[in-house]
Amino acid sequence: MAIKYLKADALPALLEALAKNARVVAPFKRDGVTQFEPWQSGKDVELDVLLAKQSPKERVFLQTETYLKFGYTMAPIEEGAEGEAAVPHEMVIVDAVNEAPAQVIFGLRPCDARGFVQMDQVFGGYGGFYFDPLYNARREATTLLAVTCRDPRSTCFCTAIGGCPAGHEGVDALFTQVDGGFAVEALTPKGEAALAAGAAGAVLADATDAQTGEAAETKMAATLKVDVPFDLDGIRDNLHDNIAADGWHDLAMRCISCGTCTYVCPNCYCFSINDSLVESTGDRYRCWDNCFNPLYTEETSGHNPRAAKSNRFRNRFGHKFWYYPDKYDSLLCSGCGRCIMHCPTRIDIREVLRTMGSPAGQPPAEPVAAPAAECGATVSGAAPQAAPVGAEAPGAPRPTGSEEGIDA
Amino acid sequence: MSRQDHIREFAAKALADGRVDYFIGWKQGYNGSEAIPAFVKDPAAVDQLVWTPLCHHNLVTFLKRNMPDPAGAKIGVCVKGCDSRTLGALLQEKLVDKDKLYVVGVPCDGIVDRRKLEKEFADEIVDIAFPEKGKVAVTTRKGDRKEFAQNDFLLAACTRCRYPNPVYSDEMAGPLEPEPERDLISPDWSDIAGYENLSDDDKQALLEKIYSTCVRCFACINVCPVCFCWDKCVNRSRQPELVSQKVGTKENLLFQMVHMFHVAGRCPSCGACDRACPVEIPLYLLHRKMNKEIYDMFGFEPGVKLDEKPVFQVFDLKDQFGD
Repeated sequence: MAIKYLKADALPALLEALAKNARVVAPFKRDGVTQFEPWQSGKDVELDVLLAKQSPKERVFLQTETYLKFGYTMAPIEEGAEGEAAVPHEMVIVDAVNEAPAQVIFGLRPCDARGFVQMDQVFGGYGGFYFDPLYNARREATTLLAVTCRDPRSTCFCTAIGGCPAGHEGVDALFTQVDGGFAVEALTPKGEAALAAGAAGAVLADATDAQTGEAAETKMAATLKVDVPFDLDGIRDNLHDNIAADGWHDLAMRCISCGTCTYVCPNCYCFSINDSLVESTGDRYRCWDNCFNPLYTEETSGHNPRAAKSNRFRNRFGHKFWYYPDKYDSLLCSGCGRCIMHCPTRIDIREVLRTMGSPAGQPPAEPVAAPAAECGATVSGAAPQAAPVGAEAPGAPRPTGSEEGIDA
Repeated sequence: MSRQDHIREFAAKALADGRVDYFIGWKQGYNGSEAIPAFVKDPAAVDQLVWTPLCHHNLVTFLKRNMPDPAGAKIGVCVKGCDSRTLGALLQEKLVDKDKLYVVGVPCDGIVDRRKLEKEFADEIVDIAFPEKGKVAVTTRKGDRKEFAQNDFLLAACTRCRYPNPVYSDEMAGPLEPEPERDLISPDWSDIAGYENLSDDDKQALLEKIYSTCVRCFACINVCPVCFCWDKCVNRSRQPELVSQKVGTKENLLFQMVHMFHVAGRCPSCGACDRACPVEIPLYLLHRKMNKEIYDMFGFEPGVKLDEKPVFQVFDLKDQFGD
C-alpha cells in the first residue's frame, strides 16, 4: 500500500471514524500523567510525551481478568422425583466471562507493539505450549497503530536488542510525524482495514515525495539518537555462567522488591489466579503478579526458593535474556526503558546487563560507542546466537509483521 | 568542609575501622538529574557519595525487616531530618538493632521535587545542577537550560518541615540548619485544608478518583521505612483473601487505607511513598491528614523522642478523644 498523508488536525476525525466500530485507546494526559485511556471526542492525544507511564499491554492482557463467575443455589426438584433426586440439595452455577470487543490502540510506540509480539508467544501456543483463549481473542480483536519515536529518550535502547524507533514488528500501521501531519503506512491487512475505516472520517491523501522523504529522514535521525548501551552478544551465556556471582547481591542492594518495573513493562506477563467468594457467589480471576513479590514463588510447604531479594532480582533479568530466549527463541524485552525511568531507586537494566552479562571475573562492559547505523543493521549484524530476534521457528504460528527495519 | 565531604569522611572511617559492613548514602543516578541510594563497601570508593538537594531517598527503607542482604549486617546510614524520624519510630518499637547501626545525620534545607520540574519541560531532563544556593539549573536532552528558584520546586514535605535537623544520629555532617520555633508554632496543616473542607461525599469522590489509577505495584508499601510486614502484609494475603488482589477503585481504596492506618503513629510524612509511586498518586495527602489527627488528639509527633512510647502503645486516661 502506498504511503498516505494525514493532516495533524484530521487525526481526531480519523479516530472518531474508528470509534464507530471499535473501542479506540490512545495516550492522554490526566493531572500531568500520560496513560493509555479510551478515546473520547474532544480529548487531545498526547504524543509529545514519548512513552506513556505504562505500556498499553493492560488493554490486551488485563490487570484483572475474570475467568468465570460461580455461585451456589438450591437445585430445583422435579415434580414426582424420588429417592436422592427428591432430597433438597445445592447446585453450582458457573458462568464463563469472556468478551473481546474490537479495539484500536493508537499512539503506542514500536517497542510497545513489539512487546505484544513477545507476549503472543507465551499465550499463543508457541512451541506447543498453552494457548490462552482469553488473551488471544482480545489480541485478535486489537489493531495496533503505532507512532514512530521522533525523539528517543536517553533511557531508550531498542536498537541494541534488534528493535527500532520505526520498527514494524507487531505494528499494523505506522504513523510518522512529518511537517503538518503524519506519513501513514499500512503494514498488515488489519492496518489497511483500520485506515480504510478511518478514511471515512478523514482524508488520507497519497503522500508526496517530499513527505515520504521527510518520514524516511525522521526515522533515520531517530535511530541514530538511540544509544546502544551494551552488546547483546554473549549476554545469555554470561548470565547463565554468573548465576551464583556476588554481583547480584550488590546490584540488588537498592532494589525495594516492588513490582513497578514489571507493571510498566510492555513484556512482563506473569499473573496469579485467585478465587474470591462472598457469601455464596464469587469469581475466579487472574491478576498481574510479579517475580519481586515474596509470595510469587512461595510453595505450599512454606519453602520459598527465592527467599532473598537478590534471588528475585536476578530472575527478572535471567527471564528476559536467558530462559525466555531458550524457550521461545526471542528476547523478552523491547528496550523501552520504562523500568529505568520509573523504578523508585532507578535500577538500570543496562547496567545490570553490562555487569552480569559480562564474562565472570571481568569488569562490566563499556557501552557500545557507535549507535546503530540503521535498524536493519542491528538485526542482521549483531543478532545474538541464543536469541535470534525475528527468527521463524518451524511449525510455530508467528504473529503478523515480523519484518523488522526501515523500508521507507 | 561541605556536608558531602563530612559524609565521605565518616563513611571512609567507619568502613576502614570495620564499624560497618557497608555504608548507605546517595550517589548520582543514570544521569545528572537523579540521585539514587548508594551502597559502599570499600573505603576507597566513598568518593561516589554525594549530597545535593536531589537526595530525596529515605535510606531508612533499607534497614527494615528483610531488606538487608545479608541479614544482620552492620550498616552505616545517612539520614535527613524526616528520615531520622522514621528511624526513630523503628527504634522506639525496637524494630532495628541500634547497636548494629552507625547513623550520620545530614541537616537539610529542602529537597527538590524532580517531578515538579519535569512538568516544566516537554523534553527529558538530563541534568539538574545547583550553581549557587537557592538556584536550580535544569538541562534537557536537546540542550535547553533553564534556571529556577529552588524554593519554588521543593517537595511538599519540605515546605512545612519542622525537623530540618536529624533527631537521632551518631555523627552530624556539618553545622545544624536553623530550627523553627517548634514550641511556639504548631504544625502548619494548610496544605490539607482543601481536602478537610470537602463534604464526606466529595472526599469519597476525590479519594476514589486519585486511587483509581493505582496499579498495586507495592512501591509505596515497600519503600515506606515504617511499613515492615513485608511478605506477611495483609494486602498480599490470598488465603484468606482479606484484601482483594483485583484492581478497581474500591479495592484500591481499601488497599491504600490499610497502608495508611497501619503506619499511623509511625509515619512522619516523609513522602517516600509519594515519590516512589510510578503513576504519581498523591499518597502524601492522606498520610498528612492522619498525622494531623494524631497531633490534634494526642499532641504526638511520630519518631521524635527515642524514649517516648509510640502513641498507639499507650493508654492514657488524659487523652482527649473526638466528640
